[in-house]
Amino acid sequence: MLSKYKYLFSLFVLLCFSSCFQIIEEINLTDAGSGTVNLTLNLSASKTKVASVMLMDSIQGYKVPSKQTIQKELGEVVAYLKKSPGISNVQKKVDFENYIVSVSFAFKDIANIDNVNQNVLKKLKIKGLNNSSYTYNPKIKFFQRSYQHTKEAIAEYNKLKPEVKKVFKDATYVSIYRFEQPVVLCTNPLAKISKSKKAVMLNTGILGLINGKTDLSNRITITK
Amino acid sequence: MNSFFRCLTALLLAGLTFTSSAQDLVHKIPSNALAVATIQGKNLTELMSLTEFNNSFLGKELLAKQAKKSGESYTTIEDLGFNLASSFYYFNQSNDSVTYNCFLAPVKNAAQVDKLYTQADQKFSVKGNVRYYYNVDSTEVARWNGEMFLFVIARGKKEYFSKPEVMERFGLTNPYPIADSVAIDSAAAAVDSLAADTIAVEYAEPAAVEMGMQDSVVVDTAEAYSSDPFFKNEDQKKSIVARWTERMVDDFFAGTDKTSILNNNDFVKNIDPKAEATIWVSGVDKLFNTYVPTTYLKGLGFLNGYGSGNVKLYLEDKSIRMTSSMTFSDEIATVFKKVHKRKLNKRFLKYVNEDRMIGYLGYAVDTKAYLEEYPRLMSKIYGSVYADEIGMATDLFSLLLDEEAIGKVVKGDALFIFNGLSQNEVSYKSYEYNEENFESKEVMKTKKETLPDFLMMFSSEDTRLIDKLIAYGVKKEFVKKGSGYYELSIPKSPLALYFTIKDNIVFFGTNKMEMDNIASDRSVAKVSAKNKKMLLSSNYAAYFSAKKLSGKIPSEEFGGAEKLEKTNRVLNALGDIYMNSNPAKGNVLSAQMSMDIPANQPNALKYLLSIIEDAKK
Repeated sequence: MLSKYKYLFSLFVLLCFSSCFQIIEEINLTDAGSGTVNLTLNLSASKTKVASVMLMDSIQGYKVPSKQTIQKELGEVVAYLKKSPGISNVQKKVDFENYIVSVSFAFKDIANIDNVNQNVLKKLKIKGLNNSSYTYNPKIKFFQRSYQHTKEAIAEYNKLKPEVKKVFKDATYVSIYRFEQPVVLCTNPLAKISKSKKAVMLNTGILGLINGKTDLSNRITITK
Repeated sequence: MNSFFRCLTALLLAGLTFTSSAQDLVHKIPSNALAVATIQGKNLTELMSLTEFNNSFLGKELLAKQAKKSGESYTTIEDLGFNLASSFYYFNQSNDSVTYNCFLAPVKNAAQVDKLYTQADQKFSVKGNVRYYYNVDSTEVARWNGEMFLFVIARGKKEYFSKPEVMERFGLTNPYPIADSVAIDSAAAAVDSLAADTIAVEYAEPAAVEMGMQDSVVVDTAEAYSSDPFFKNEDQKKSIVARWTERMVDDFFAGTDKTSILNNNDFVKNIDPKAEATIWVSGVDKLFNTYVPTTYLKGLGFLNGYGSGNVKLYLEDKSIRMTSSMTFSDEIATVFKKVHKRKLNKRFLKYVNEDRMIGYLGYAVDTKAYLEEYPRLMSKIYGSVYADEIGMATDLFSLLLDEEAIGKVVKGDALFIFNGLSQNEVSYKSYEYNEENFESKEVMKTKKETLPDFLMMFSSEDTRLIDKLIAYGVKKEFVKKGSGYYELSIPKSPLALYFTIKDNIVFFGTNKMEMDNIASDRSVAKVSAKNKKMLLSSNYAAYFSAKKLSGKIPSEEFGGAEKLEKTNRVLNALGDIYMNSNPAKGNVLSAQMSMDIPANQPNALKYLLSIIEDAKK
């Protein structure tokens, strides 16, 4: 199943040669356990670099994807999502002006997205985020993100050329969870609770995820 | 009285000859050496005494390394046993069957050289006053006495050993080719100054076999792979090479070698006692063929017509200078002379301002002559193999191209001026999250991007084609018309390009104001006599002032003030760099490169060491 998503590797080529990027993961969860997901990859801050890279056929041995290839590969991601159980309302948005790509969809149960998110991120070669899973228990109103750093992430990172490594220096990862009821407690010290108490945000550098210094695990208790 | 004076003069002269040529081993190098690299220890020790070197940062580091390796204390690099005040050599000797890479060093104290081997656990044998060292298969040999040290790395040639008659003669059975002969980067090995004294230790294999007598050189490793015919064959080839090497080194030490390199006029002509280091190649084509088997080239003569060449390094009081020259055959030299007929357009200088400029690159070739000569050059390379095809292709080339017309559009001279780096603001999309519920909102943010700032110009007698291109660009809206100049917009890029045509010169640049000044005759020129001469009298000329660049690099490019400061410090310590070609002399083309050294530095060698030390801080 995973091999189907090798296409997204081409986005990674663009990532590699842009100077900084942002990954945003938003999950809106209803009390019942259904909800929506929005995944965004934003290369806008390095759009001039991406634009010049895209003029080339290949760079340092990596093939540079064309707009058509990116569209086609995203189309395949959407097709995969549409076929996934419990997933509906799949939408993609590509902004070639600013180089922002986003995919959103609705899910019946949080367990449906468990694999999906991983797969999509995995295809972006963001290996540090792979070992995650989500659970939600509507009875006790308890949401959990389990996360474990993989040694593979740092090993992969160390294989990169120094100039490619530089790319990750300013890259950031944002995750936002929104709930219908106020949050009572969240365990991750890096996470912030919004004024309304109904949202939790964690904004961190990608490098910390690669080297295992940042932990994304979070246990969130919601008002019953 | 008279005889006393005569004696004294004779003594003095003898003394002079003794000191100047004392232990110069150059006469030992055989006349058929393909390449010779020299490091003149005497010149280096004059620039910096050994005591000074020992106390320098690099000297201390070298001595500490050696002490650590040997477990004994080294206080001076003289303790390594070599005569550092004399010359060190590398030379390459090759024939159809074998190539020898040889390092030749003057010995001051053989016992100290012995120590280098014993400390590295390398065994050698002694016979009379000569020491013998062999690696495991005897294809690397060192031999030394109280006068000289010779280290030879020998590699048999695959091509030779694949010949049926050779295989038959030596009883070789395996048809598989042996590994390519290892190409030693002769330039690097030789120029790596002072490397000579560590070569012996570095190249020696740990598993050396003690070889007592000269006649027992062939190492019998057959036992190890006796069952594998491939290895057996390989070992056999190596033992043949080892025998040759032994003979070559024997001859070298016995001095029976027929003629010395000092009989080679071109070599002697190119000895410059003032140069600290020299690389001389007897024939670039010959050396090339030594390393690239003719079977690969299939008879193509890429370097046909290239003769001897040399590179010299001078460390002077005010500058570091490197010269290079190459001799060509009459035919190629004629081509170069025709192509190099053009000189840089004098009017270019009206637009050069040294106060703004960080560097330039200028060149002048005759496009028409180049296009006319190009087919001839191609037929020289490929003609021997594809005579018919090349004949047709070159005719077609000349038929399709109107050399004269092209030569008018692009005459062949151009000047690129680098004015530094500038920063432009670029906007990009990001997200902001409200405090209430972390709802995201798209926002436009700005950041600074560093762009090069340059001006380029080339001469054109016939601008009709370029005018048409511009008109097309304007029509298609790639090009915007300004007052007297044009702007080329590049989508999504903050880099804008401006261009104009004036005085039969086409200008391209990144600075709008500069282009406006050019178009409206407001350019202010400022060129020093030195740069003017360089630009106008050479076919190729370049200049770069690192000092002017320092302080102009935005800190964003380095991601840290500390790193930036270090870079600026190194840039500030570098002098102006000049490069240019000289007018051809006979069949010899030459070029030079130099870097001024700061006034507070006593000489180039000390300055180089200070830069290394600074960069390491």
